[in-house]
Amino acid sequence: MKQIYVIEDLCNGCRLCQTFCSSLVSGVFDYDSEDVRINVIKVPGEERDIPVVNCNGRCARPIFVEDCPTCVSVCPTGALVYEEQKDVVLKRLELEEARRCQSLFKVVAPWKWPFPWKRKSVGAK
Amino acid sequence: MKARESRVQTVMHVNLCDGGTFLETLPEQWTRQYIGCRGINGRLLLRDVKPRTEAFGPDNVLLFGTGPLDGTPVGMGRISVACKSPRGTLAEGSCGGFFGPELRRAGIDYLAIRGVADHPVYLFVTDGRVEIRDASRLWGLKTNETDAILREELSDPNIQFRYIGPAGENLVHASPIFGNLNNSGGRAGCGQVMGSKKLKAIAVRGSQGIGIADYDGFIKAYKTFRQKVDIATSRDPWTPVWSTYGAPILPRLFSGLGNLMTRNAREMRWDDEKTVSVNAEIFMEKHVTKAKACFCCPWPSCQKLYEIRSGKHQGFKGGNYWAGQPITFGSLIDNDDLELILVLSGLCNQYGLDIFHVGYTLAWAMECFENGILTSKDTDGMELKFGCRDKEGLVDLIRKIALREGFGALLALGCSEASKIVGKGSERFCLAVKGQELEGVAQRSMYMVALGVAVSEVGPDHTRWYPPYPCNPDLISREDLDQLDIRLDLRKAFQGRNPDEKGKLLRWFTISRAVVESLPSCVFLIRDTLGLDLRPWWNLFTSATGLNVAYEEFVMAGERVMNLDRLFNVREGFRREDDRLPIRMMTEDVPYFGYSRIGPGLLDRMLDEYYQENGWSLKTSIPTRTKLNQLKMGEIADELEACGVEVET
Repeated sequence: MKQIYVIEDLCNGCRLCQTFCSSLVSGVFDYDSEDVRINVIKVPGEERDIPVVNCNGRCARPIFVEDCPTCVSVCPTGALVYEEQKDVVLKRLELEEARRCQSLFKVVAPWKWPFPWKRKSVGAK
Repeated sequence: MKARESRVQTVMHVNLCDGGTFLETLPEQWTRQYIGCRGINGRLLLRDVKPRTEAFGPDNVLLFGTGPLDGTPVGMGRISVACKSPRGTLAEGSCGGFFGPELRRAGIDYLAIRGVADHPVYLFVTDGRVEIRDASRLWGLKTNETDAILREELSDPNIQFRYIGPAGENLVHASPIFGNLNNSGGRAGCGQVMGSKKLKAIAVRGSQGIGIADYDGFIKAYKTFRQKVDIATSRDPWTPVWSTYGAPILPRLFSGLGNLMTRNAREMRWDDEKTVSVNAEIFMEKHVTKAKACFCCPWPSCQKLYEIRSGKHQGFKGGNYWAGQPITFGSLIDNDDLELILVLSGLCNQYGLDIFHVGYTLAWAMECFENGILTSKDTDGMELKFGCRDKEGLVDLIRKIALREGFGALLALGCSEASKIVGKGSERFCLAVKGQELEGVAQRSMYMVALGVAVSEVGPDHTRWYPPYPCNPDLISREDLDQLDIRLDLRKAFQGRNPDEKGKLLRWFTISRAVVESLPSCVFLIRDTLGLDLRPWWNLFTSATGLNVAYEEFVMAGERVMNLDRLFNVREGFRREDDRLPIRMMTEDVPYFGYSRIGPGLLDRMLDEYYQENGWSLKTSIPTRTKLNQLKMGEIADELEACGVEVET
């Protein structure tokens, strides 16, 4: 069964996930509301933003993509993924391989980048 | 728990002299006529600041403005900071981060701060309430230190701050207001005014959510908006690269086109290898540690945190490297050491300085030094030359400018005032308009930029008509343009050095950006057709507020805001003669590329078209009574005349 997983170091702290989630039932944007099922914890110094998911993946209202939780589809960097557990590891590996090829993927996930990019042919797959 | 609605907006007035506060509710008519944020700040300044008010006195009002869309996913956390500038003009700037939504959550849409405290204070704002607290222990601290201490003391990680650094405290020219460490705004003088009021910081924590009048309508409008700015779907070629690598892709691009301010803009092209060493790719590779964003930004990484990993400044941390920094501390002073640029601009953020003020004043000083107008006797022994061999001297100079020490004291005045004091022909090296230094956009190759730089009421501010390069006119059809009543020959308008249609284009850009900044939202997101077609913004505004405002009325609000800016300056005595360009741009051709100087005849021709289209006097640039009546601002024309300003029919 698919769940929402967090790739922490891709989070830029925007709180789109938390803000939209807060509004899905109430129609009110309130990142602090009790209804919110994802909370981006901000570490002082702006140096870490850590999304903490408190949700079973069955979104109250998937607004953007059918069968995809709103938070996952609205995230700009790809820090949130909605996958089966066995596929999350593959996503993480994809990110690490992409980062070895291009520093761009420090700030965005390769599955969010709409253009082809040059893969280094290093190591065996 | 109540949710905020957005039809009617509130102003919390604070008097630092006697500690008095009161909450004013603005008429709904103001939301319809001026929208909010920059627009209502402009209207409040006209109402509450009399002409000839002393900028550093108790009667100057410092405004922090949110708007109806702040706290929604389109507001981007923007605020407008505004006051009267120490240079006499309007001072207004936009600033991102997370402060705006939190202020609205506290039930306050605008903070209007007057008076001067008798000791350093900070404001602690909670739901409908402002406490004035002692800030003596914070006075003198850098912005990052202030942030850290306040965060620790107040402990709630969701409290948001705005603050000034030592530069603002010392009333250094062009000091902005900072927040979320690396966001800033109001370089036209808002930080100086905040310092003059002995106001070190503002902390805010609210508890109310932001209600939406028509949630389903808002979501529909959001999807349209998001599709135009998302890296996967935007039809604007700038979007993917801008939203990840960011603005530092520009210096290399600019240099090839003859648009890069080099060695105090004596040249407009820098050595190619040098542009590579300061460009976005190397920055991303070597120094970026993390993506950062403003509240609900749809882009992965407009902002970035960086850390210097090796060398003398190993461990130095900073944030936000855009197009300004590689120009002001790179090509402008002929320094290709990226680490030095990152340290200089990071220190500017920490000390609360404006990078354009510091960069252009350094470049001015270097050209003076080259010409023997300044010697090492004046510069504390520094060899102040383009190429920057004395790197540590430059690093130390940032602190000296913020604290007005030694040679820093002259530089702290900005190049306009400094060249008046130094004389000896140094004025011709000063790149400023209305006393404010330039930014990074080239004038002699893009005439719309020249016109925009000349007329900007706050001094050069490209964000008021951004972007300066043409967007793709093919994205929008002729029928759409006609329907939107944009009567422009787009192709002519976008020809860089064709003076025709520039007034009309600048007028349209200024109006549309005024609308976006009043909602508020972020002008970086004017992508795809969002800069030409404001209907997606209109749908977001009407669905969020529930106000039934016609599209023409919505756009007219932008024109009102543009006129508010001009009216403020006119009341202070500014006229057509003040809409000029720096001497260099008007008297020197660009070497190598051959772009010719912009003579007074050429500038006058473009000013004529701009004023004509705006309904402003060709003689004085004062908005005519006909125009003000058309905008339903007739009572402001009466107030102007009562101040002794001549208003033509």
